[in-house]
Amino acid sequence: MTEEKTPAEEPKRDASVQKREEFEKRTVFTEMFNLFSLVGFLYGALDERLSVQEGMQRQFGKPVWFYRTRLENNLLACLGGISFLFYLFQVVTGVLLLMHYRPTTAEAYRSVVDITNHVPYGWLVRGIHRWGANLMIVTVLLHMMRVFFTAAYRSPREVTWVNGVLLLVFTLAFGFSGVLLPWHQLSYWATSAGTDTLSAIPVVGEGIKYFVRGGATIGQLALTRFFAFHVVILPGLMLMFLVLHFLMIRRQGISEPL
Amino acid sequence: MAQYEDIEAYRKYGSEPFFPHHVLRQAIQFLAVFALLVLLASLAPGPMLPKADPFDAPANVKPDWYFLSAYQFLRLTEKLSFLGQWVPRVLGVLVQGLGAMAVWFLPFWDRNPERHPSKRPLAIRVGIGITFFLLAMTLWGHFS
Ligand code: HEM
Repeated sequence: MTEEKTPAEEPKRDASVQKREEFEKRTVFTEMFNLFSLVGFLYGALDERLSVQEGMQRQFGKPVWFYRTRLENNLLACLGGISFLFYLFQVVTGVLLLMHYRPTTAEAYRSVVDITNHVPYGWLVRGIHRWGANLMIVTVLLHMMRVFFTAAYRSPREVTWVNGVLLLVFTLAFGFSGVLLPWHQLSYWATSAGTDTLSAIPVVGEGIKYFVRGGATIGQLALTRFFAFHVVILPGLMLMFLVLHFLMIRRQGISEPL
Repeated sequence: MAQYEDIEAYRKYGSEPFFPHHVLRQAIQFLAVFALLVLLASLAPGPMLPKADPFDAPANVKPDWYFLSAYQFLRLTEKLSFLGQWVPRVLGVLVQGLGAMAVWFLPFWDRNPERHPSKRPLAIRVGIGITFFLLAMTLWGHFS
């Protein structure tokens, strides 16, 4: 016998639906997007074809997990986000440094001295870039440790981990390629020694070393290559993998507390 | 609007809207990090060493701290060079390369379903062991 819902059931279901809708409405984004489309700023034919607005609303409307249950879960789960903040700081200060840096063996050192001593607030931008680079490596390593010790890398989060190790490699590669750019004694000799260890890799080592250095020794070609790698290739490459990392986390939510 | 398959988990553990709650949280973190960076950069701005000179190798060149442990490990394997010229580099590179691979593919071979630290004592011990090993190598590299 097909029965209609009894009046007693109806309000109960309505209440939970209503509660959820209320929760979703708490995001002010709906209003902001309505305002934008009213002004015709971003939306029009493009939005009609691609449903940008719907996609964005869905993304911004989806709540973020966090655990009220335990304080340490909360604090430790900040480390990944702080690593990302450092990435953003590095991009912004890096672009500012780029406005004055000159990537030639004759001029690089001079330009960094200029940045430090003459460009207004250049010392601050350079200082933040240096400190940010080191602190980012610290937070990425700590983030990795928290993921390991809470076993958050288990299925279904294997991809996030494998992708995360790549992010660590990129972070270290940033440090390695950045050291050469000021072209001072330490940058030259540390990079010489560092690229030298590449030849320890069996079979292909010598070839890689030659390719990285752009010749038998560190010179203009090496500086050009390190520069291109540090300011163009790596930031873009890393951004792609960061987006993948975040999409995975956003889709799956953070792992349940222990 | 989005359908949340995991609404039950949200209820159980708590959640917050992305905007403005989560964004606000992030903004606070942003300001704190910014303040820290400005403070550190003001107290200890970047030093400027002498310009690079390809004909004047300084006595004691070491890599940055984050490569020190790997570097020190390579130097350690050099002590085994009496076994043959190829031993130190190949051993140093092989051990570290395999170690890195093991970490990279960790989720695929660590199949223990337990997550709580007290139920995976071996993994925790190995993790702490590796951490201290790397720390010790870094310090050794720094002070040698
Ligand atoms: C630039 C580097 C990285 C950034 C910006 C980053 C960012 C994040 C963020 C924001 C989260 C959300 C939860 C949290 O913060 O703990 C997260 C989770 C995660 N990260 Fe990373 N991460 C980075 C590197 C790594 C590395 C090196 C690994 C591991 C080798 C890793 C593995 C993971 C895993 C498995 C999760 C999921 C944890 C869970 O669901 O509880 N990430 N990451």
